Amino acid sequence: MRHVRRYLPYVVMYGIAFLWVIPVLWMADTAFKPQSEIFSIPPTWVPSHFSLEHVSRLFTEWPFFRWLLNSLIMATSVTICSLVVSTLAAYSFARMKWRGRDTLFVVLLVFMLLPWQVNIVPLYFMMSKFHFLNTFQGVALPIIAMPIGIFLLRQFFISIPKDIEDAAKIDGCTSFGILLRVIIPVSKPVFAAFAIFIFNFTWNDFFWSMICLKKTSVVTLPVGLRLLQSAYELDYGLVLAGALMASLPSMIIFLLLRRHIVRGFSLASSGTKG
Amino acid sequence: MKQRLGAFLYRHKGIEGLLYVFPFVALWTVFLAAPVGYGFYISLFNWNPMKGSKFVGLANYIDLFKEPRFWNAVANTFKFAAMVIPLIMGLGLLFALMVWAWGRTRKGMAFIQVALLLPYMLTVSIVAIIWRWLLDRDFGLVQRSLTTAFAEAPTLLSDPGWALPAIAFATAWWLVGYRMVVLQAGLENIPVELLETAALDGARPHQQFIHIILPLLKPALLFSLVLTIISAFKTFGQVLMMTEGGPGRATEVLAMYMYLTGFDYFNIGKAAAAGIILLLMILGMTLVGIRLLGLKSELQ
Repeated sequence: MRHVRRYLPYVVMYGIAFLWVIPVLWMADTAFKPQSEIFSIPPTWVPSHFSLEHVSRLFTEWPFFRWLLNSLIMATSVTICSLVVSTLAAYSFARMKWRGRDTLFVVLLVFMLLPWQVNIVPLYFMMSKFHFLNTFQGVALPIIAMPIGIFLLRQFFISIPKDIEDAAKIDGCTSFGILLRVIIPVSKPVFAAFAIFIFNFTWNDFFWSMICLKKTSVVTLPVGLRLLQSAYELDYGLVLAGALMASLPSMIIFLLLRRHIVRGFSLASSGTKG
Repeated sequence: MKQRLGAFLYRHKGIEGLLYVFPFVALWTVFLAAPVGYGFYISLFNWNPMKGSKFVGLANYIDLFKEPRFWNAVANTFKFAAMVIPLIMGLGLLFALMVWAWGRTRKGMAFIQVALLLPYMLTVSIVAIIWRWLLDRDFGLVQRSLTTAFAEAPTLLSDPGWALPAIAFATAWWLVGYRMVVLQAGLENIPVELLETAALDGARPHQQFIHIILPLLKPALLFSLVLTIISAFKTFGQVLMMTEGGPGRATEVLAMYMYLTGFDYFNIGKAAAAGIILLLMILGMTLVGIRLLGLKSELQ
């Protein structure tokens, strides 16, 4: 009985965890199976030999590296731009007084509840007027100014004690100097959290990217996979090889930085409480 | 020069504050706020960028309200939300409690966290590809296991009654890990002494849960709930890549309907109207959700 009490939680937790990874394992399994064994009944887990036919087709017939590169460029540049503009704005909301500040903040808060993806119809026509369709800036610009960033950073900036700033002000430090030398150095954890959040968000964006990017050479990974799927609907080997290759970067980064990512996620959530 | 600029900014503090918010507010106004207005504007037209648009007032909205296909999409959206929100919140809370209550004193928890959070790292197209393959009518691993276990088992993705629940389940598999992490962080903020005192006073686990854990978990619950409501109502990628709205129109949710209307049938004014309605629905449901759970006080 004691053993049951001791080990039952393990059995339950590992059981659930194992069930949860089966789909990912099955994806990897299918991607490396020879074509004939993918469609075997009943399904088999262990392939007769390790086959790279799907992966090599993916790289020879499709611009897969290009998609990966596009995704990386997009997510990195959005993250950097977003960090810069959100930090400047959050600093102003947290530390400066100007007319209309609080009203604007409430308006931004309400907009936090509106996912901009439902705006795709007007965005499409706007971007087409600006000639931004099929370009990175077309996808990136609507993502950069995310109200949640202001919210998160402002909350953190307010919690920084003002004494150091007052001392710096007396020594003749400008407000930008204070931001650069006092605020930013102590805000690294919250910057990391927000960077992880926005990078993940951009990397995973699907709806708007799919509408904005149509040319095979400019699409990002999520949209590239859709092209792959709609071109070879039933060629599961190729499609799953694509899915596996596309998921490898995120999975590797996740395994390496798991602690930071988990902390970032929980910080991003606690930052939004009152 | 630098000094003079400094002195100028010192005298006009208000202007300085505005300078800092300007880049963000400019981007936000042009690319997030203006499209809402522009979307409403488009929805009042028989929009045709090639031949010229014609103002039609609210005709697009009236068209929508008369169309059974629109109501089918609204019904599917609510059905999907009614399945996926409780599923994600329930499983997320369950997993968080499990890892929190059992994991504190145990080793080997890293694997559990990796396994449950891993799907969240995948993009929606990968999730859809994986589950479409698992549920393939003839060769899918899950579908075959079901058919073997129950002779009567339906083929999930081609059964009008089961396709939407199947997508809801795949979505829960994908998103639940993030909710778990958020709620777990909330649980870890609860002072252990509080629970110990309650236990000494004879509070049973379920009483502790209702009277101590749940109230203290409110901020984390609010955050997860708002996120979950929004992602439930805007669901698109999973549907497009798992069923394309089928079988028939059994999984055609509002976002899918809007996409098809605008970018497949080029009925742009009507699609914009559907977008405005979806926007109002999401806003309304989020506010209702916050109020129903008595979480209003958390929104300071």
